[in-house]
Amino acid sequence: MNTPASDLVIETRALSKRYGRKLALDALDLAMARGQIHAIVGANGAGKSTLFRILLGFLPPSSGDARILGCDSRALAPADRGRIGFVNEEHTLPGWMRVEAVAAMQRHHYPRWNERAYAEVIGHYHVLPEQKVGQLSRGERAGFNLALALAQTPELLVLDEPTLGLDVVAKRAFLESLLYSNAMESCTVVYCSHQMEEVERVADNLIVLERGRLLSQSAPDDFRRRVSHWVADVPFQGPAPASIPGLLETRRLDGLHHYLVLDQDAGFADFLRAHGARSVQSMAVSLDRAVNAVLARNHAAPAATENAV
Amino acid sequence: MRDLFVAELRRFRICGLAAVLAQFVVLGFLARMVDLAQQPLLVYRVFGAVYAVAGLLLGLYQMGSYRRPNAWLNLLHRPLPAWRIALALCGAGIVWLALAVALPLVIIAALQHGMTARVVDLRHWLLPLAAWQLAAAGYLAGGYAMLANRRWSACGLVFLVWLLLADASGGAALAVQGLALVWLALLVGIAFKPDLAAPPRRAVATLATAVPVQMGAYLLLLLLGFGIEMLWIAQGSHPNNTATPPVGGHNEVERMAPAARLLAALSASRDAQAPLWREQIALSKVYALGVDVPWRLERNALTNHRPMGFEDAQRRVEWIFSHDRMRYEGHDLGTGKRHGELGVGSDDGAFPAPAMAAGTLPGLAEGDAVLIAGNTLYHYLSETAQVWPRLRLPTAELLLATTPVGEALVVQSDHALYLVDNGALAANEALVQPRLRLAIPGRQGDLRNIDLIELVDGYLVSFLFSNQSHELTGVAPYQSTWWWRDDGHATEVAHRALRFDYPAVYRYKAWWPSPALYALRVGAIGLFAAPDPLVATTPPPVPRSMWLLAGLLMLLSALGAGWLLRRAALSWPARAAWVIACGAIGLPALVSLYLLYREPT
Repeated sequence: MNTPASDLVIETRALSKRYGRKLALDALDLAMARGQIHAIVGANGAGKSTLFRILLGFLPPSSGDARILGCDSRALAPADRGRIGFVNEEHTLPGWMRVEAVAAMQRHHYPRWNERAYAEVIGHYHVLPEQKVGQLSRGERAGFNLALALAQTPELLVLDEPTLGLDVVAKRAFLESLLYSNAMESCTVVYCSHQMEEVERVADNLIVLERGRLLSQSAPDDFRRRVSHWVADVPFQGPAPASIPGLLETRRLDGLHHYLVLDQDAGFADFLRAHGARSVQSMAVSLDRAVNAVLARNHAAPAATENAV
Repeated sequence: MRDLFVAELRRFRICGLAAVLAQFVVLGFLARMVDLAQQPLLVYRVFGAVYAVAGLLLGLYQMGSYRRPNAWLNLLHRPLPAWRIALALCGAGIVWLALAVALPLVIIAALQHGMTARVVDLRHWLLPLAAWQLAAAGYLAGGYAMLANRRWSACGLVFLVWLLLADASGGAALAVQGLALVWLALLVGIAFKPDLAAPPRRAVATLATAVPVQMGAYLLLLLLGFGIEMLWIAQGSHPNNTATPPVGGHNEVERMAPAARLLAALSASRDAQAPLWREQIALSKVYALGVDVPWRLERNALTNHRPMGFEDAQRRVEWIFSHDRMRYEGHDLGTGKRHGELGVGSDDGAFPAPAMAAGTLPGLAEGDAVLIAGNTLYHYLSETAQVWPRLRLPTAELLLATTPVGEALVVQSDHALYLVDNGALAANEALVQPRLRLAIPGRQGDLRNIDLIELVDGYLVSFLFSNQSHELTGVAPYQSTWWWRDDGHATEVAHRALRFDYPAVYRYKAWWPSPALYALRVGAIGLFAAPDPLVATTPPPVPRSMWLLAGLLMLLSALGAGWLLRRAALSWPARAAWVIACGAIGLPALVSLYLLYREPT
């Protein structure tokens, strides 16, 4: 189903970014609909941060177009920026300023400032107004950053690995303050993370990037269902890996062959039996395992063997 | 914007207050030791350099703290135009520089004005402004160096070099500083955008960036030439450093003793008396005339080349020239108390031009002094504490020096030599008329030596014009020797053309890399400055070989531009403009094109 252009918060067409001989984004076509939580996952170097920098006009594309909230990313006006919240993994806030001063500054800068949303999020953290930002823990800084971003009442909130480097408690606090904020109701969220449990919890739409290309875009459950785990009791070696359709990962544990495969239905059991399997068992995988298997399959593999998903 | 401005002010409050205090303590200490308003130029330059470097470091640090991609994104991704964010950040930096640099200077000047008898003129009150502008220029250059693309971000330093070399003085110097500030602010404004690495897009921004980048490339080419010259010196064949200078060249004559120089000058003479003069040179004292006032003295110049005062040891009074009053103001060397004012004549009239003490002369009483102001020689009499004009040259001339020669006094201006009887000077306090005048056969900026001997019927005077002959501005070197007779007539008895010791490619090294930028450099250095007759020269026409070399480089630059632009994402008019610019400006323009539009790797 095609989404009308006006309902897209982010749209790229044949977007490429080249650093010398390396392609960070490779003819990326992307369309993200308004009103959802989109998760972007990908290995390091997949082009996620490059994509955000291009979208926000901080990096020029080598070719192609990028639009955000319907505006050309190279010509964002200050008012457009006011509609887009951005939280990065470093939570780069001025460390020499007090919390109350930063909040006051943002309050003056953003015409749609929502004090209630700010108080709601910051309430999850033990942050004192008179504290200097530099004195906050990483988790508190992340929460403070999120509170500032949500209080701006953005139409689009981009979160670029916001929980990177946070401990389990801080991660949970961050996610809860994000998910339970009323400000979330009116904005579209683009959430970039390596943490699949977070993605699984928050995302309506999962976008998988690999080496600057779009690998998949679907609901997380749909993606998870595309990957299946097969355990087969095959005497001796079993089928040659190159002959296994959709193979992502293979292992032999306790005499049993384990196969993680992509887009295989019940016919895969027939394939295994045809190769001597005495028993075959299929099971579902977690999203984390599915994504990791898909992203890991081309590691150190020659470019010529890559297959589109 | 106000919040950002206040936040930045608060950010640097500890460092800023520490700088205010440190500068106040240093200036206060120095003011107790010396008169800070009467220091030689070098001292002011050291202070200026410290302020510029302090500003540079602040700019580098402040902008450097925002330069990281995420910090930059966090700063600029807000509903404010980038220029307002830049204004807030730079405004805070510049306010702190005003407080740390200018405020202590103003306080010290006020203390000196209110609590001592030292001279504090309007020009001294303007020094804090000049210091602040220097610091602000350094700050903006540092900020630009941190923000702009690393390939050309250092070009802001060109403006600091400009301020170091500019000839303008007084209010004109402040105007030059202001212009440099405006340009640097424009550069920072251009660089202050989300994509820091991107070259400027609009024509005005491209021009504002390309000119300093090209000038920076031009200066680097000159520095490269300087490095090659160092190798030349180390290798041992540099004409200035060989054990034996090239025969017949200006270096040989410059290294001679005055008598040998005079003999060398006479070697070109066909005058019948030349053999006799040679014998007399061997027997006579040869006077090498020096210059007492080697710089043009301008009223309200911000700094002194050297302190503008003199001491009357008899009265134990130090007289300091005040540009505001155009008179000397005295203070007691023992008590430091004010000792009155010293002008011209019995009614202490104002000097027509800034005056400079030029030592004393034979026959003057102890404590007396000779003062030079404009075209006039003055005599300070210690006994009466009065100043009287004693010799007045034509209005268009600047009196530069007096040299006793036997019973006479040779007075040198930028146009002529004059002979005055010493006895007439010592006899009374009236104006004396020079007995003889000899026009100097060349320009003051080219003049390197004047050697003179007394003859029975006059003087033999030899001029060496080679002061700038190692540069393109200098005249083709020569010696001109004159028989200056007592009856008032003067005849050139020898004209000896000297060879250039340096090849044209060396002498024109500032010109052939880019005649256009050389012209811009000359124009920029002389901007708002009054013409200085003391540095005026008569350069010969540029040799054809240099025109060919410059033309060849410009042609190659245009071709190079065409090649570099083959893949650049520029419009056709922009491409054409760059090719034309490279053809007209030469190598520095090609370098700027490469730096601005090279494909990132």
